[in-house]
Amino acid sequence: MTTICYLAHCLLNANSKVDEGARCSGVWSPVVGMLRERGAVIRQMPCPELAFGGTRRFWAVREQYDTRAFRAHCERLAAPLAAQIRADLEQGDRVVIVGIDGSPTMGVELTASSDDWGGRPDKPLDEDYPVRPGAGLFTEILLVMLAQDAPRIRVVGVGQDLLDYDEAREMAKLREVVADAR
Amino acid sequence: MRGDGRSRRILVVPDSVVNPADGRTDHLSAFADEGWGVVALGPPGLVPVARDAWMEAIVDQVVTFIDDGYLVVLAEGDDPESERFSRALREAGRDVSGHIDLPE
Repeated sequence: MTTICYLAHCLLNANSKVDEGARCSGVWSPVVGMLRERGAVIRQMPCPELAFGGTRRFWAVREQYDTRAFRAHCERLAAPLAAQIRADLEQGDRVVIVGIDGSPTMGVELTASSDDWGGRPDKPLDEDYPVRPGAGLFTEILLVMLAQDAPRIRVVGVGQDLLDYDEAREMAKLREVVADAR
Repeated sequence: MRGDGRSRRILVVPDSVVNPADGRTDHLSAFADEGWGVVALGPPGLVPVARDAWMEAIVDQVVTFIDDGYLVVLAEGDDPESERFSRALREAGRDVSGHIDLPE
């Protein structure tokens, strides 16, 4: 049985992060190494923000992206993923989705969210980046599409977009989820 | 501020780079060490309903990088997805900055 890990785009390409948000030059090597050690297949999901907001976009909260047009964009990106994940499950593979906690779109357990804050770039990021429990917009849409299959899928968020990001902690969390999926 | 360590250099790679067969060269680790970000083309055997939309999403993202002045290079494999990608990118009116061959 194969474990297939669908990674947030930026874990293999930090160039897709919001302006000032890249934590490495390109590939986040620890996650690749860990998945390789466990024999997992790696697949890269699209970044829902990149082609919509460009590479010079600033950080934002989920509410800013929560528009009809952006939801349609996310649905267009999520549909082929959902179809492939269903096919993976049907052939007996295990599926793990790895999102980015703190992201307004790719968050899993934590997402950037605020009723009144609007991603003002005139404030340093570390002074004001509101995060709440809940999934990001794209993650939510993908899991809704997967509906009855969602309980068979492990979903985990790596906290790269959290201000208290701790690489060792996040790697331990990811390692545990991938091991559970074996 | 967290700073930003992005390389502004992207390699579009076939699935065989991200998931090399046993005993094959690990190009991904080398590319990572060199600072490249990676856009992975779709794996072989995608379900038909996903195949075109998967490529379309990749092309949209690569066009964004090209239009914003990032260096985008295609690491060409002998898989059909590399050729499909090149054709789709040309249809979008763009091209990569260069190509590299993947040694065995």
